[in-house]
Amino acid sequence: MANILVVDDSKVMRDMVVACLRGLPGAVFAHAGSGLEAIERLSMERFDLVVLDLNMPDIGGIEVLEFVRGQDHLKTVPIIVVTTRGDEGARASSLEAGASRFMVKPFSPEEILAETRALLGLAEGV
Amino acid sequence: MSRVDLREFLDAYLDEVDEHLANANTQLLALDAALRAGEPTLRAVRELFRALHTIKGLSAMVGVDPIVAIAHRMEASLRAADRAGGQLPEGAIDVMLQAVAAIEQRVRALASGHPVPAPPGPLLAALDTLDEVRTPAPVARTTSGLALDPAVNAKIAAFERDALERGIASGRRALCVRFAPSPERAAAGTNINTVRERLGVVSEIVKVVPVSAPRSAEAPAALTFALLVLTRASDEDVAREVGVDVGSIDVVGEPGTSAPAPEPAVVPVPELHDEERDDVQRRGVVRVDVARLDEALERLAQLVISRGVLAREIAVLASRGTDVRGLQIVLREQSRQLRDMRAAVLQLRMVPASEVLERVPLVVRGLRKATGKAVRLEVDAGRTELDKAVAERLFPALVHLVRNAVDHAIEAPDERRRAGKPEEGLLRVTFETRGTGQVALVVQDDGRGIDAARVAARAGVEVPTTDAALLQLLCRPGLSTRDQVSTTSGRGIGMDVVRRIVVEELGGDLSMTTTPGRGTTIVARVPLTLSIVDVLTFECGSQRFVVPMASIDEIIEIDPTQVSAPPRTGAGSTIALIQRRGEAVPLVRLDRTLGLASADPERPKALVVRRDGDAIAFAIDRTLGQQEVVVRPLEDPLLRVPGVTGATDLGDGRPTLVVDLVALSRISGETSEVRT
Repeated sequence: MANILVVDDSKVMRDMVVACLRGLPGAVFAHAGSGLEAIERLSMERFDLVVLDLNMPDIGGIEVLEFVRGQDHLKTVPIIVVTTRGDEGARASSLEAGASRFMVKPFSPEEILAETRALLGLAEGV
Repeated sequence: MSRVDLREFLDAYLDEVDEHLANANTQLLALDAALRAGEPTLRAVRELFRALHTIKGLSAMVGVDPIVAIAHRMEASLRAADRAGGQLPEGAIDVMLQAVAAIEQRVRALASGHPVPAPPGPLLAALDTLDEVRTPAPVARTTSGLALDPAVNAKIAAFERDALERGIASGRRALCVRFAPSPERAAAGTNINTVRERLGVVSEIVKVVPVSAPRSAEAPAALTFALLVLTRASDEDVAREVGVDVGSIDVVGEPGTSAPAPEPAVVPVPELHDEERDDVQRRGVVRVDVARLDEALERLAQLVISRGVLAREIAVLASRGTDVRGLQIVLREQSRQLRDMRAAVLQLRMVPASEVLERVPLVVRGLRKATGKAVRLEVDAGRTELDKAVAERLFPALVHLVRNAVDHAIEAPDERRRAGKPEEGLLRVTFETRGTGQVALVVQDDGRGIDAARVAARAGVEVPTTDAALLQLLCRPGLSTRDQVSTTSGRGIGMDVVRRIVVEELGGDLSMTTTPGRGTTIVARVPLTLSIVDVLTFECGSQRFVVPMASIDEIIEIDPTQVSAPPRTGAGSTIALIQRRGEAVPLVRLDRTLGLASADPERPKALVVRRDGDAIAFAIDRTLGQQEVVVRPLEDPLLRVPGVTGATDLGDGRPTLVVDLVALSRISGETSEVRT
């Protein structure tokens, strides 16, 4: 079973991500609508993977990454950062802040599924 | 595994993009106001950027490229503005408003299933010129005036510090409220979202910083949130409202005690994706299709009917001498519960009236530019709520009233000066709840008032002696479209339209008070809720009717060779038989049933409905189309006709009857039995 936290202030976007990953065996999804909520949940619950948007109110994805990677028990949780075209500068800063993968919208359901499988150590087609 | 199609999210996408577009317009107006007042603009620039960035990302996911293109160019301009410390080139607001309107137009096309037009070239070109103009970023300042924890201080951007200082300068206190989340608190329903929400009620949240802490009894999650806020409330009030100890509140700055001379220093403006927002987010909100709520209401109506049956059965028992007192108590209780339940379902359709007013500043801004008049707009919806369907229908009337007020009622600055008035005219638009079940929209101006004598002269009638009579005159269709009247009367254009929406479509009423030289107030009272039905419009006997779509099984063409007179009925009967897929279905001449003149159409059609499972067809002249209408019950008992459930307005001011074909089939059935 894999616990996946999807962080985006857009509900439609969260729903789309969940729809893309629903095929993963035993995946359980949690939603966070803001960076603060994400940090709160990551501090209290165990997640196997995080899908994180960069552009959010209150605090953005980079700040979430910086905080999370500063916590001993969260240093290795896989985090896929998702952003929109035009944010090319964000790729470097995301990876520097500790993102495991970086994806640009629009991405296809297959792309995000493949990245997730790789990060969770699942074989193709599982 | 089945393939995921992201276009399935189109409805949800449309809803959410609407929200971001409304926010974009709000931010553009805030930006416009701040630019004119010389106030800081960075926050609005970033908020606007964020709205467009989200629109762009979502549009890319569902593959709406023209919207992606417009949002992308706007973003580039805003990025340049951000680099320039929030400065925008001359005319930028207008171009941006046009760009948002262009996105809205494409969203509407998408919503109605039309092809989405390519982005307009001139608009894109205009947007491109905006990011060429670069103003150097002004030197930001830091101060040592705020008593901030170093860990928090390191995370504060220059514009947030500036916001805190401005807040203090305007007489508020800056506080740091600490909240440590824990699984126990989360289980009890307290988390960072609820804390933000509650704190947002008593203060303005400037910034929230997560601070990692050694795991302890105070910080079981090894995490504390530091919320920096501006407030006029006392520490105790804030603590009580938020549900934290007073001990977890620190004063960061207070009016009169802080802010020593700021020392200039260049502070790098952080990247755009670090931007913050201070308003409380809407949380725990579920989007529901209105159709589902209607379905719930429908089920409830069935429950009310079965309760009626139960009441009758109990009455029968009572008439036979059974003691039914216990049952009657339960029955009364059930009635109350059903009423409450109905109110609760109707409540779900309510939206804040403030949403209706959201776009008014935009309308006034446009009018201000077009007329060159100075107008101060005040809007206030308080906590008034109204049915989404009422809100949508009322909006065009609201726009008419606002347009009239600015275009015609409020005088030009020099005219106002000569009349001894302030140059800036005042326009107030408010919503109030009136008693139960009604809401009042009030549009008030301090303009020239309406000259009854001139209106009367134009209309060629006697001068009305009361405001009510004057309003009636202004609402005469022929009159209000004549330009001259409106320019001399101060009001007039579209008043017939306003009256039609308020009185005929929504079943409300319209009133007016006007004082020459002092101004006019128009009040539109409308019901809080409506019943909305999907209907088919058709013509029969040269008259127009509507019938609920849900009651129609099929629409068929009448092939005269397939129609036969049924056995044992004489000529002149309203009933014949028509062959439909090998089955003989009774065909009723609706025109005769309703006592109308026969139109003898070239290609008659029939609407097939089911009565107790059996098909029955009604011959009509022709179908006109399908639409959503507001149905008003016929309240006058004299007008109560079997087979007619209500009246509606299709948009041309003529009442149209809503027919219930199933009920009509019973009537014509009885008729045929009498005849056989």
